[in-house]
Amino acid sequence: MSTSHTTFTGSGDSFKLGYRFQSYWDLPMAAAFFFGEFGAGMFLVSLYFEYLPGMILGLLSTGVGKPYFHISHMGVPGKSWRAILRPDRSWISRGLISIVFFIPCGALVVLDAAFGWSGGGMLGQLVKVVAVLSALVVMSYQGFLMSHSSAFAIWNSGLIPMMSVIYALTSGAAVTLAMSQMFGTVDSQLLGHAVIALVVVNLLVLLSFLHAAYHGTAGARQSADLLTREQYSRPFLGLVFGAGIVLPLLLLWLGGVNVLTSLLTAIGVLAGYFAFRVLIFKAAVYEPQVNFAARLGLR
Amino acid sequence: MASMGMVFDLKRCIGCNACVVACKQENSLPDGVFFTRTLSEEYGVYPLAKRIYIPTLCNHCEDAPCEKACPSGATYTREDGIVMIDGDQCIGCGACAVACPYDARTQLGKDALTRGLFGEGELTPFEEAGYDRYTAGTMVKCDFCSGRVDAGLDPACVVTCPTDARIFGDLDDPDSKPSKLIRDRKGRVPLAEKNTKPKVYYID
Repeated sequence: MSTSHTTFTGSGDSFKLGYRFQSYWDLPMAAAFFFGEFGAGMFLVSLYFEYLPGMILGLLSTGVGKPYFHISHMGVPGKSWRAILRPDRSWISRGLISIVFFIPCGALVVLDAAFGWSGGGMLGQLVKVVAVLSALVVMSYQGFLMSHSSAFAIWNSGLIPMMSVIYALTSGAAVTLAMSQMFGTVDSQLLGHAVIALVVVNLLVLLSFLHAAYHGTAGARQSADLLTREQYSRPFLGLVFGAGIVLPLLLLWLGGVNVLTSLLTAIGVLAGYFAFRVLIFKAAVYEPQVNFAARLGLR
Repeated sequence: MASMGMVFDLKRCIGCNACVVACKQENSLPDGVFFTRTLSEEYGVYPLAKRIYIPTLCNHCEDAPCEKACPSGATYTREDGIVMIDGDQCIGCGACAVACPYDARTQLGKDALTRGLFGEGELTPFEEAGYDRYTAGTMVKCDFCSGRVDAGLDPACVVTCPTDARIFGDLDDPDSKPSKLIRDRKGRVPLAEKNTKPKVYYID
């Protein structure tokens, strides 16, 4: 039985059996996902190290960057508020509600750290707990949203939410390290080790993800091929692995933690993370109906 | 309660795409937007070459992933099982499109309803009249010609098919034509492993 691996760009205008690419979520959505997760990760890491500028940057990333790119993607931006209406079944609604809690509570945590408005009382602690919990949801909900989709086998994996969280924490830690080296004081030793550990975990999760894809359905294998051997292999291997994994590990291991290595590490991690976000959208293919034709005994 | 569905008889489908044209006309679809497609593939080598045709459209799944993914409540299922989109509630986020395993949904581009297909791009009277029902930027899909179904008619694609390859009816009625065909000729659903319980069956 021959197999057809004809691929087409774009959906809705293909009249051939074969793989069709996902085309609804593109660069603006990838940027929205990136800014949201990075911001939450940045806030949590900076909160742990009590680094105020990092917390502020995290809140700005999630509170300004993410909505900007979401609204630029929306077909009807004026009705975007409706996205909050179905938390009972939609991860988008749950995520947006979390952001609604995260931003103001995160801001109150920053103000408390700067001006001590809570005086160390219960209210301050409660606000901090809400900020942390909502940040955890913001970091992970997009991954759950993607893994919930049965349309794309490469997304339909429990590793996707894990990768969202790991990437968020890794990029947050890397940028916190760079910022603290340039502008402030944080325990660089501990943070440097944290970045290395997170990058290693990132590598393991990425490899597991590719392994699962190669042992999955035809669509998953096709997506993995697109990422590692075919049209997206250069940016995937070069940016996601090269800049995002290998470069930070080499820099921090060989060069130690200083302004230059931490800055280059942060740039590499961010580049790798953003490239992953874009490429995982581009490489998603619908499960081919050609297999269905085979099951019907038509070929 | 009715559960409307469709059966495709692949022995009868000749890939003429009359259904596609009828659908475009009935629903006044803009350029590049299709609610139904007849997928085809050639394989083999002469003299044993063959071509197969697989008509597709929204499967109006009983466990519709698009409905679950929709954050605004725009996607809903009618009592008769037809999955609909309320254009007034749709925000065009695309969550339904990435949830649908069958790539059955399309987003109307922001200029899809202002750019005509013919001539210099100005809208014809037919296009002007038809585009009124849509909102730019929203998601659209096959609704089994719900207006025709409410009037007791079959969808346009079913009526138009010259070989009666499309059979529409109530799948909850064991005596309906589609139910009998599914039972007698072992109807199968596409991508059954996705567990969406589609209501479109294929027989060969």
